[in-house]
Amino acid sequence: MIDVSRRSLLKGALGTVALASLAGCGGAAGGSNGRLRVAFPTSGARESLDPHTSSLFVDQARTKALFDTLVGYADDMSVVPRLAESWEPDATGTRWLIRLRNARFHDNRPVTAEDVLYSYRRIADPATASPARQQFAAVDFAASRARSATEVELVLPAPNFEFPSAWGAPAAEIIPAGTTDFAAPVGSGPFRFVSFQPGRPAVFARFDGYWGGAPTPAELEFVPINEGSARVAALMSGQVHYVHDVSANSASLLQGDGRTTVLAAPHGTMQAVALKIDRPPFNDPRLQQAILSGVDRQGLLDVALSGHGQVGNDLFGKGLKYYPQDLAQRERDLDLARGLLRQAAADGLEFELMTSAADPYFESAATLIAQQLGEIGIRATPRIGPAETYFSDIKKSGVAAHTRTATLPLTTFMAQRMRGDAGANNYTGYRSPEFDALFTRAMSTADEAERARLLTDAQRLTRDNSGLLVWGFSDWNVAVSSAVSGIRAAPPNSLDWARFDHAVLV
Amino acid sequence: MRRLVLRPLAVAGSQLAAVAVTVFALTSALPGDTAVVILGEHATDEQVAALRAQLHLDVPLWERFVAWSAGVAHGDLGESLLTGVAVSDEIARGFATTTLLTVLALAVVIPLALAVGVATGLRPGSLLDRMLNGTIVLLNSIPEFALALLLVALFAVRLGWLPATAAGASGWSLAARPAVLVLPVAVLVSKQLCALARQVRIGVSEADGAEYAMHARLHGLTERTVVFRHVLPNALGPAVQQLARAVDGLLGGVVVVEAVFALPGMGSGFIDAVMARDLPAVQGYALVFAITTIALNLLADVVSRLLVPQREVVA
Repeated sequence: MIDVSRRSLLKGALGTVALASLAGCGGAAGGSNGRLRVAFPTSGARESLDPHTSSLFVDQARTKALFDTLVGYADDMSVVPRLAESWEPDATGTRWLIRLRNARFHDNRPVTAEDVLYSYRRIADPATASPARQQFAAVDFAASRARSATEVELVLPAPNFEFPSAWGAPAAEIIPAGTTDFAAPVGSGPFRFVSFQPGRPAVFARFDGYWGGAPTPAELEFVPINEGSARVAALMSGQVHYVHDVSANSASLLQGDGRTTVLAAPHGTMQAVALKIDRPPFNDPRLQQAILSGVDRQGLLDVALSGHGQVGNDLFGKGLKYYPQDLAQRERDLDLARGLLRQAAADGLEFELMTSAADPYFESAATLIAQQLGEIGIRATPRIGPAETYFSDIKKSGVAAHTRTATLPLTTFMAQRMRGDAGANNYTGYRSPEFDALFTRAMSTADEAERARLLTDAQRLTRDNSGLLVWGFSDWNVAVSSAVSGIRAAPPNSLDWARFDHAVLV
Repeated sequence: MRRLVLRPLAVAGSQLAAVAVTVFALTSALPGDTAVVILGEHATDEQVAALRAQLHLDVPLWERFVAWSAGVAHGDLGESLLTGVAVSDEIARGFATTTLLTVLALAVVIPLALAVGVATGLRPGSLLDRMLNGTIVLLNSIPEFALALLLVALFAVRLGWLPATAAGASGWSLAARPAVLVLPVAVLVSKQLCALARQVRIGVSEADGAEYAMHARLHGLTERTVVFRHVLPNALGPAVQQLARAVDGLLGGVVVVEAVFALPGMGSGFIDAVMARDLPAVQGYALVFAITTIALNLLADVVSRLLVPQREVVA
């Protein structure tokens, strides 16, 4: 995400002062004639409408308007039917039969089993470089087939009773079989393509043949505005109806403004510090524990997130399906932390804490954590790295780094970040045969209650041993004009996030 | 002739070469590369290595520089690593927007600086002089980014007189929506006005107090004739030099203004290219900016030299 204010043109304080004066009253009204205008940060010339390569939120939002997935995610990341009307696994969880609903593409062709197979093959192809590739890489496409125009059979090499989660992943949209060019794409989503150029506005129009019913807005326009304060100003002055990605500061200011409504999706983004436990000093479990006990999570929430969020309990996915709600909250315990440091003969431990402007909360959180750990004699030095390459940098180097993950199904997170074979995406270097065995058993368990129990056991393990210090969850803020109804607060990647087909312009 | 044309051209050529080498080296020194940026945070090392090879990022730096330079010699700026589009096309996409902003800003700032400079230079220390000076210094001391936010807060959000952003408009079509351009141009002008008006003011007050001006007045020439015939031409030499520098300043300001007002011009394109470590694109933008700057400074040199003989004749 590019953001000029992060290009150190100006730091927080001045921006806040200038923005505070934005929170005035009165102003311009935006007439729209049935065109809903939504503002997102964009990535300029490299944008495309290929749904299988979309990685930024703006790509996903455009993709959602034009295309559909087989299933969507509810707010807790459980799956709900979309293009798939129903599905059932065989007894082993390796063979899945999916029945499609009666839906049409924008060119009036029906959505068929062949389209599904073509789409998933393309996503699994390494040449496509799709962010959803991992979810479909294991599918045995030679054995998978279309049983009829509306029935698809997908075959897996190993049991996976959570496989439907993959069908709702970002970048897992269904495109017409044979599509190779995305200059003017055809999908089955609520809006049809009208015009688009990379880095410039995109205009889509209502698709009357949409299976979910024709959308309310006649037209939908995506307006690229990278600068956060400019997005807010555009909303307040009536130029746009919806702005994506509003900082906690702006959200506080907007709450006092009658022309707009801030929609805060709870448990939006996990905020964490990844301690690398495959190398000194954190290969000593006592030092991991000392850090986990030395951090004041409530203090981080109050200051770094300005209270816009929830405290974390060293686990991803608070509020999501399969999250163990009944685990006791980890509290700050300075005596315990000091004792552990003494035991490990590591008084006055020093390490660098990697941080960057890649996320708006990283830098202030790093400063606070350094202060908090200073109280038990640990010298953590925040080191600010370049935002553009930050997430690939922290995989390779350092011993502790701030990280974040947007909402996604819990089992997806565990498979991609915790399992021993997760490779570089396992930021902490956690390798636990015990966890892997539990997780594999859970995935091959047909009974959902039993699966939940196994997943809880697996999460207990990671909470204490994986080196992931989850200190909080930052709210995901968007803001809408008071002249619009029918848009609700929803976590990123969920079905109702950036969903505009029910928006009503008053 | 040789002194007036050939030497400056040789100097300009070596300046361009220096810019090309420096920018190439600096961009290469940035952490990360295009392959990492394109593939994002979930890429495996193998994917990154494969893409590096595909983009020829595994070729030694000096070889890439030589290849790029050979292309430039033939007028070919190469292709963007990120999009595969010709760099010249990428730059052209933002050209209209940025040119419009810069030309409009100059069209406002030049007459304004002349008016302010003459009005204050003829009566140094007067109330008008002090007021204008204070205003200009104040405008000059606020960072562009903050000034832009304040203007938006006041004129767009609170009063609703002007649009807060371009909201998707770009290129020559902006000319049809002048309201969009008012605030961005105002920000650009406010930053350059100070130095330019001050330069005019100094020149005017010096020339106005010079012997030939006194002489002209004693001979009963009207004040208007004295100012326009004798004072201004002599005062403008240094101001022309300052104008060339003002255009450099405008190019810097354009980067900020394009961001705050969501105008997709060359400034935004340049920033995007740097963020993406898109070496050919960064080089292309840097060359275009450097050529502009060098050409303007050359032109300013020539113009102020042409003004010099006048001074000799009159004095």
